[in-house]
Amino acid sequence: MAHDTHADAGDLASFTAEVRAFLDAHAPGGTAREDKAGTFVWGKGDDRMAYFSSDPPEEEQRKLEEARAWQRTRYENGFGWITGPAQYGGRDLTPVHDMVYNAIEAEYDVPDTGVLSVVGLGMIGPTILAHARDEIKDRWLPAMYRGEAIACQLFSEPEAGSDLASVRTRAVRDGDAWVLSGQKVWTSVAHHSRLGLALTRTNPDAPKHKGITAFLVDMTLPGVEVRPLRQMTGGADFNEVFLNEVRVPDDHRLGEVDGGWTVALTTLMNERATVGGDNGGPAAAALTPERLYAVLRASWTLDDRAVRAQAAELLADVMATEHLNTRALRGMRAGVTPGPEMSVAKLMYAQNLTCAAHLVTDVFGPRAIADSGEWGTYAWSELLLATPALRILGGTEEIMKNILAERVLGLPKEPGIDTRSPFRELRRSGTGEGAA
Amino acid sequence: MTGITELSESELRELRSSVRDFLEAKSSEEAVRKVIETDLGYDPEVWSQMAEQLRLPGLIIPEEYGGDGFGQVALGAVLEETGRALLCSPFFATVVLGAQALLASGDEEACAAYLPGIADGTTTAALAVSERTGAWDPVQIETRALRRGEGDAGWELTGTKSFVIDGVSADLLLVIARTTAGPSLFAVDRGAAGLTAEPLETLDGTRRMARVRLGGTPARLVGTDGAGGRLMARILDLAVTGLAAEQTGGAELCLESATAYARTRVQFGRQIGSFQAVKHKCADMLVQLELARASAREAAVIADKGDETAFAVAASAAHVCCSRAYMFAAAENIQVHGGIGFTWEHPAHLYFRRAKSSQLLFGGPHAYHERFLERLGF
Ligand SMILES: Cc1cc2nc3c(=O)[nH]c(=O)nc-3n(C[C@H](O)[C@H](O)[C@H](O)COP(=O)(O)OP(=O)(O)OC[C@H]3O[C@@H](n4cnc5c(N)ncnc54)[C@H](O)[C@@H]3O)c2cc1C
Repeated sequence: MAHDTHADAGDLASFTAEVRAFLDAHAPGGTAREDKAGTFVWGKGDDRMAYFSSDPPEEEQRKLEEARAWQRTRYENGFGWITGPAQYGGRDLTPVHDMVYNAIEAEYDVPDTGVLSVVGLGMIGPTILAHARDEIKDRWLPAMYRGEAIACQLFSEPEAGSDLASVRTRAVRDGDAWVLSGQKVWTSVAHHSRLGLALTRTNPDAPKHKGITAFLVDMTLPGVEVRPLRQMTGGADFNEVFLNEVRVPDDHRLGEVDGGWTVALTTLMNERATVGGDNGGPAAAALTPERLYAVLRASWTLDDRAVRAQAAELLADVMATEHLNTRALRGMRAGVTPGPEMSVAKLMYAQNLTCAAHLVTDVFGPRAIADSGEWGTYAWSELLLATPALRILGGTEEIMKNILAERVLGLPKEPGIDTRSPFRELRRSGTGEGAA
Repeated sequence: MTGITELSESELRELRSSVRDFLEAKSSEEAVRKVIETDLGYDPEVWSQMAEQLRLPGLIIPEEYGGDGFGQVALGAVLEETGRALLCSPFFATVVLGAQALLASGDEEACAAYLPGIADGTTTAALAVSERTGAWDPVQIETRALRRGEGDAGWELTGTKSFVIDGVSADLLLVIARTTAGPSLFAVDRGAAGLTAEPLETLDGTRRMARVRLGGTPARLVGTDGAGGRLMARILDLAVTGLAAEQTGGAELCLESATAYARTRVQFGRQIGSFQAVKHKCADMLVQLELARASAREAAVIADKGDETAFAVAASAAHVCCSRAYMFAAAENIQVHGGIGFTWEHPAHLYFRRAKSSQLLFGGPHAYHERFLERLGF
């Protein structure tokens, strides 16, 4: 995408007015709330602060339909894909417009569209746009941004997590199609997905980054088997996906044969932008001063010096993280490419939520480990159980720190990471053997 | 304060780089070490060059009082540089504390009397608030002010002030003392009767502190009688915003120093920066620095917008983040350097000392946590 990030002020002002008019007319929950954080009242409303869903299936289905319907409304009114090309239903505007839209929408009561937008629209869509053939873009992009086709990221495998370039799922050419066989794991939203972007090994004799090819897989094809994986929260947001001799037409290949790593990098770049800018969602409520104050009051710890010190450090970090996002956004408006702010914001988002969940459950004590029925106490245990994932998904904390140290600070790369030998000669887990 | 002259991004960059160039020439490590050993604690030559060449003392002083009328954003840019360079200078006490105390008092006559001298670099100032415990708490002010004559000038102060930055060298002392109306701000001239100042030994040689005794010392009331409590809060917000910028600059230098060393030092046949334990330390320092910088710079932006409530929150948050970030970076910088980092000859300890002294300057973690929470309504 050759987008200029620059957006001038007058243009943004009229865009802002347009967004408000749209939301006032269409947001299912009515007009903007005065101040979302300010309306928090202890004991009122839903006390859940979940990062992952743990709804019963009918409820999950209902929310999914609401999400699709809301995405469709956005799309029909020109807000379904703000940065996308008009040709595919986009608006041809800048990432700044996108952020402005999100900030305004957060003031309204609208369905959470995370199931569609985080992976599919945020990461896979831009990858298709950058690397797919025109017929494929025509066929799938409008369907995705209209809320019909949900897409998932078929990257991680049992043997390839942080070391993503070690994927082993095989793709073998057969006429004008490819036959895919292998296993993917931790695939979020695969159980709702029509499409999956899969990284496969097409040349085990090349070094690991040079023998990968990317395919857009129609998840309804024979041989695709999705098995939900239950995560530690109890729900099942991610899955194992088995590919058993799935025939994928060659026109669904993204990028060159053996050129899949470039495709993967586009996805990962968008992933960092998506997760880093993530300061909303139901879990964001956990980080407001109002909510923490209420928790300290309800736990009789308002005058506990140690607790107050922890709360102050946490809230100062939360505020600094917001400032980082504000400054990156302001910089983008002025045409400045953001520096490490987004990566730091992603790390801090995980750290702040983790820190908040532990602080709050600690002060509630037994009320956080058994449901006494008291409002807003046991509810935190659900958030607590989600926090370990935040340090892992989208690049683990350790990998993020490697990236900051190497790319931003210019420290030397890990020696001994083999990027030259043929993939089949590399070591794999649990053995001293080659990979193939 | 209204009527702040705003700087464009490019003017701001220019300001930063001209201050950096100046300090690279005038506040090298060698120069800092030399000046630390002197009685005065700073180089008067450099101070007058700061005034004449860069017009820095007048940076935030309104034009009507002989300054350039810039705001907190500009001041922050300068302080990030002075913090990086560990500049030993009356700048912090005179401008960040003294000039801003005068401006915050709203006393036009006092401003007209003192600010032009500060702006042109001929007057240095110190702000004497804390006493025995070092706390910035109006309740703990015991120094008394008695009215002896007519008008604003007819007061006498008696008491002891401690931890007064540049209290020995300053020409003008701004003192918080208690009248029957409550804590109030007063101006005392260096030569005033009954005034003595003795230097205190300090952890951080780059920032001088003094105990100041006042025995029936003639003083002039600045601002409204009894307004000192509110004034102290406002001055402290401005002071910690300035300090946060200094801390950011110091933390930035520590990170640069650690990463430069990690790239060159070889052990076990490889650069130590390729060991993850070291690499991740540096990444952690970067995270802390980014948080510090965002919180310090944003507090300054909010101050210049004139939103006082939001500023009070942002300033106290920056105080928390920047104090932690600098201390962390200064300590980890020594760790990355190993034995050489612990030597007297290596500059790392100068930053360690400065980081700790900055963290504790206005009361330390408990005080800044409570201040921030109070502003959030806790
Ligand atoms: C909730 C959730 C949702 C997810 N959704 C998806 C999805 O939709 N699609 C998808 O493809 N994947 C998804 N993932 C997978 C995720 O990207 C991987 O879990 C992650 O990249 C780590 O890989 P791994 O689990 O194999 O752990 P490993 O890579 O085996 O890591 C184990 C530990 O070793 C550390 N480690 C590994 N390499 C290094 C190194 N070089 N330096 C320092 N430490 C290292 C890690 O930091 C970690 O602590 C999801 C994961 C979670 C938890």
